[in-house]
Amino acid sequence: MSAIHLKNLTKTFGDFAALKTMDLEIADGEFMALLGPSGCGKSTTMNMIAGMEEPSSGKILFGERDMAGVPMGRRGVGFVFQNYAIFTHMTVRQNLAYGPRMRGAAKVEIDRRVGAIAEMLQLSPLLDRKADRLSVNILQRVAIGRSAIMEPAIFLLDEPLSNVDAAFRAVMRTELKQLQRQFRQTMVYVTHDQLEAMTMADRIAVMDHGVLQQVGTPLEVYNNPANVFVARFIGAPGMNLLKGRPAESDRGLVIDLGPLGVTPPLPDELASSVRAVRNDVLYGFRPEQVALADRGLSMPATFVERIGARTIVHLGEGESAVKAVFENDVGLSVGQTAVVAPPASSVRVFDAATGLAVRAG
Amino acid sequence: MADIVFRNVTKRYGNTLAVDDASFTVNDNEFFCFFGPPLSGKSTILRLVLGLEVPDEGEILIGGKPVNSVSPAERNVAMVFQNLALFPHMSSRDNVRFPLVERKVADAEIEKRLADVAQKLHIGHILHKPPAQLSGGERQRVAIARALVRDPAAYLMDDPISALDARLREETRVELKRIQRELGKTLIYVTHDQEEAMSVADRMAILENGRIRQIGAPAEIYDRPASAYVARMLGSPMMNILPSVRGANGIEAAEGTIRIADARAPAEAIEIGLRPEDLKVRPWTDSGTAEARPARVFEVEPLGGYTVVTIEAGQARLRALLRGQPDVRPDAMVAISCDPGRVHYFGQDGGAL
Repeated sequence: MSAIHLKNLTKTFGDFAALKTMDLEIADGEFMALLGPSGCGKSTTMNMIAGMEEPSSGKILFGERDMAGVPMGRRGVGFVFQNYAIFTHMTVRQNLAYGPRMRGAAKVEIDRRVGAIAEMLQLSPLLDRKADRLSVNILQRVAIGRSAIMEPAIFLLDEPLSNVDAAFRAVMRTELKQLQRQFRQTMVYVTHDQLEAMTMADRIAVMDHGVLQQVGTPLEVYNNPANVFVARFIGAPGMNLLKGRPAESDRGLVIDLGPLGVTPPLPDELASSVRAVRNDVLYGFRPEQVALADRGLSMPATFVERIGARTIVHLGEGESAVKAVFENDVGLSVGQTAVVAPPASSVRVFDAATGLAVRAG
Repeated sequence: MADIVFRNVTKRYGNTLAVDDASFTVNDNEFFCFFGPPLSGKSTILRLVLGLEVPDEGEILIGGKPVNSVSPAERNVAMVFQNLALFPHMSSRDNVRFPLVERKVADAEIEKRLADVAQKLHIGHILHKPPAQLSGGERQRVAIARALVRDPAAYLMDDPISALDARLREETRVELKRIQRELGKTLIYVTHDQEEAMSVADRMAILENGRIRQIGAPAEIYDRPASAYVARMLGSPMMNILPSVRGANGIEAAEGTIRIADARAPAEAIEIGLRPEDLKVRPWTDSGTAEARPARVFEVEPLGGYTVVTIEAGQARLRALLRGQPDVRPDAMVAISCDPGRVHYFGQDGGAL
């Protein structure tokens, strides 16, 4: 069994708490992304799983087995880091064969495995090239191949694509996902890039300041963020959040958005939970869910970004600024006033005091 | 006036053509981006404008005056470097003052220009801090202030915000655009991030191996790429480009999984280009008409606001970008279609038809 259990895991460096009480269950064969901004504790977590750093407290179990005191080399994990580790005086073939050869695998077996992994990572035509003549893109692919060929039960990757160029990154995302499907390893993938996490991971653990913020499938964290941090961090652009105050009206519970002069209603299933909050709230909705409407938030466009397939329109200023993502034929330009409204079902509400999502009752 | 003109400029390093017969005009007050893969010539063009390199052939004009033999110091263009190189031991104020102090500008004049630039860049409240105490965005603004305090005719930026994280980059690019608008200065900007280029540029140039492949407004280049190369450079996911043949019912590609009934399709087209967002994907129903053949969904990647669906269509893999979170699953059989008006055609040499 290569499930990974993190129990009350913490890591401090002097006075600095890099990781505060992390509990996380990673299932056997699962692709888990640890996602967050720099300094969120994701790499520290991975280093402890790898055995490169000792936890300050708490436990790491692989299946039933406690990893305390088990050195890195005995954990049966493969890693790939941002900066590839390749023997540059060797050919691609020799690099790939290195691990199995050290383990004393038979020549026929080594050849078979090198051939298979090279095919999967599109390295076959390059097998006899010296590594020092290859691009950064290809070297990172060789690094992934060198680890994968050992068929580790647990595969740890720390920002493996951050140094490769954008077009290649898209290709590698697909390949890594294929690799994991084929070998069924448990994959832990550290990244600050939400696109990588969203497109590859079965589940995402979103982290910030050493605290696990939410664990869920990509669509769970996008659709139902647990708190304001996740709401803003996930999504490109992040979720719009407007300050508001719950108020009773003849339309049921509404959110008074103050200076914006509108009082949008809440769906019934949210209303009772929001009534119980008794604090000011943040009224949240995704930029992609905004539609032009007859009634709603009336705001001037301050900036329009046409980015390929979509147009991001920035509306309003300061605390009441929102962003909306439209098709390119939206026809809004700077200075024009737009009336926009999110559909009621896509509205999310957060407690302004705690930052936590208010869930439907 | 600070328009910048290249006339047939070529620059070689040994046998390598870094810039190959480049001709373009950056207009006064324009936000102009150079975009291309590594080593395509972007940074060499900046160095030629600055005067750090001299062209082997051709002529460079700034504000109408030939500058081939004018030293960098006399060109009155300022550079903001990639790493935002601020002096760590100096306060932000001294960093911004530095170029003027070095040029022995009078104190009163320095103070006046400092106040002016601080106000434009909203940095008055952080001038007392050393760079280490500033956020990435603040450091950015101080570095720009230092470039601007000389009151250059034009300024150049080489991938200035690549070190920031994604969220901050999204905010900073909007800020850069605002600053450039308010200052009303010519800005030449190099980036490797296509989103950034499309967001900020009034016009952009797409480079390949030292050659300029297309110049235009970002939307123009995106909507009407001059070649298959340029078409692949902008757009995420990338444009689907497929070999095409002329069939009985129009243009066919990917073994008949794509059929475009376009009577005006150019006869010399050998490839078609389909933007992922222009593909329509619906469940396959055998209606027995001249419809395209079915294709199989290979992978579904939900991004939240959009969903990328990878489809196996004959030998090809196509990407479709669908809005929202549609219920599409791997292995489903689907029919693909595209409005004929949205199809791009490419000829033998890769040029758009």
